[in-house]
Amino acid sequence: MSWKEEVGEIARRRARALNLGGEERIRRQHEAGRHTVRERLDALLDPGSLVEFGALVGEGDAGRFLPAGYVGGLGRIDGRDVMIGGEDFTVRGGSERDGRTKDRLMLELAREFRVPVVQLHDGAGGNIENTLRRGYMQIPTWSNDGLEVDLLATVPIVAGVMGSIAGGPATRAMLSHWSVMPKHSAECFIAGPPVVKRAIGLDISKQDLGGSQVAVRSSGVIDNEAEDELDCFRQMREFLSCMPRNVWELPPYRQPTDRPDRRDEDLLDIVPGNRRQPYDMRKVIRKVVDDGHMFEIRPFHGKCLITALARLNGHVVGVMASNPMVQGGALDGPGADKHVHFMELCDQFHIPIVYFVDCPGFLVGPDAERSGALRRGMRAFWTTFSITVPLLQVIVRRCYGVGSVTTSRTDRLRLRLAWPSGEFGGIPIEGGVDAAFRRSIEAAPDPQAKRIEIEETIARLRSPLLAAQAFGVEDVIDPRETRPLLIRLLEVVQKKREYALGPKARAGVRP
Amino acid sequence: MNGDREGEAMAVIKVSSETAGSIWQILVKPGDSVAADDVLMILESMKMEIPITAPAAGRVAEVFVNEKTPVGADEVVATLISD
Repeated sequence: MSWKEEVGEIARRRARALNLGGEERIRRQHEAGRHTVRERLDALLDPGSLVEFGALVGEGDAGRFLPAGYVGGLGRIDGRDVMIGGEDFTVRGGSERDGRTKDRLMLELAREFRVPVVQLHDGAGGNIENTLRRGYMQIPTWSNDGLEVDLLATVPIVAGVMGSIAGGPATRAMLSHWSVMPKHSAECFIAGPPVVKRAIGLDISKQDLGGSQVAVRSSGVIDNEAEDELDCFRQMREFLSCMPRNVWELPPYRQPTDRPDRRDEDLLDIVPGNRRQPYDMRKVIRKVVDDGHMFEIRPFHGKCLITALARLNGHVVGVMASNPMVQGGALDGPGADKHVHFMELCDQFHIPIVYFVDCPGFLVGPDAERSGALRRGMRAFWTTFSITVPLLQVIVRRCYGVGSVTTSRTDRLRLRLAWPSGEFGGIPIEGGVDAAFRRSIEAAPDPQAKRIEIEETIARLRSPLLAAQAFGVEDVIDPRETRPLLIRLLEVVQKKREYALGPKARAGVRP
Repeated sequence: MNGDREGEAMAVIKVSSETAGSIWQILVKPGDSVAADDVLMILESMKMEIPITAPAAGRVAEVFVNEKTPVGADEVVATLISD
């Protein structure tokens, strides 16, 4: 007997699933400036690489078949295996059905295969229809139990906010290592405008409530902003190209296209002679990393700190750097939160960190106090002292206060390399003079002159070469040597990271 | 920070300080023409002289601060009318 007819029926049903929620709904999706979930999979994945599971799931028959509101499977992105899926907004607005869901399968397979997860979130989650159909109330549960939490410790998880997401999909987007959303065609919020109106009587548009201006720039709830959906995919590819397949592997090495011994003359001129003047720290970073290229993470939030993935001689590194243009590089609440997240990300995926420091300490003042900068800053400190991945410090200019202590882990890899422009201390000189010498300043015949005299005496102590002589800093280097030296040091720690593969243990209660 | 539309081609652009600090130097006055990224004022914050720059080209409309005025994060310090 031949099963040809039944096989033909399988093919017919798979083809039927391609129609998603129907032409009309697809047209509306396009009109909103959005792609369908299948178009997104096509755009992001390597051509022909999708092995879809559950294409036959759906309800109804003949002309009234409606597929499940989620499409997903195994695919490849730039040759690398991923589990990928997303809600189909053209089917019931991508809302969830009860019972065993397809996205749960994707996550279970990611766990079993130990491969990265990419979720293209779209839709507002739960639907009241479910309660009606079921005929009784149900205690809210998390349909994936603790799967995402386990996965967060083992494989890279990428979240794309591809449409207007609220409820379930919005909360799932948070269970990721990195997230991105396009500027105009997507929103992310706990609940959308209709629910907000009913709850607090406020009229507000979707973009005003959860567009990228809010979710990326104001709250930092979503890490990166993209020009459009295609830019989202470009950024996803770049992020994944820096991540290992899972925590049991090192990040992917790439043949370098930049010389390891490049000593850029411009590094001598970037830091101004006037120590009160800021400069562009990104210029410093670009002159040190391979090809002047870095992929910034959360660039629009916590801007006092720059966090980026880059390469040094083909190896992935996590770059952290103070931004002197923003409050002088002082670390505030959002910057500290970014520090915690990025360091944990790099530590977990065995990405060594290089920290370029120009930090006067924690931010001071009532805004800082009200935002809990003290606790958040010390949470950053706690993170620094819990990571095991190598952390190298380059002191570009100021390195003061406990804010700067968060930038290196001296009980482990104690290699702090200062530039000649480096200056460091427990507290900045100016503030300290007023506090310690107030009486002698006030008693002097010319208090202003006395203050200046004391400051100048202490300023002479500011040269890092004095500290170097007393071994108060491991070395003071020619800025042009930064790249070759970092590359040589990272070459040595390469091997050591191989001994420590696998998930990182976490214990203790963070501040 | 985007401005409101006033008239056909003009828009009011708000210039704000990104950080808390005090105004150290004001380099423009109402009526001056500026290009995008021109330094309009210098803020002193955390012992640094931090430039506040024009987000776009235009003419200075109003300046809301004086030298030594303390400002908060995201406080509007001036407005421009775009060309």
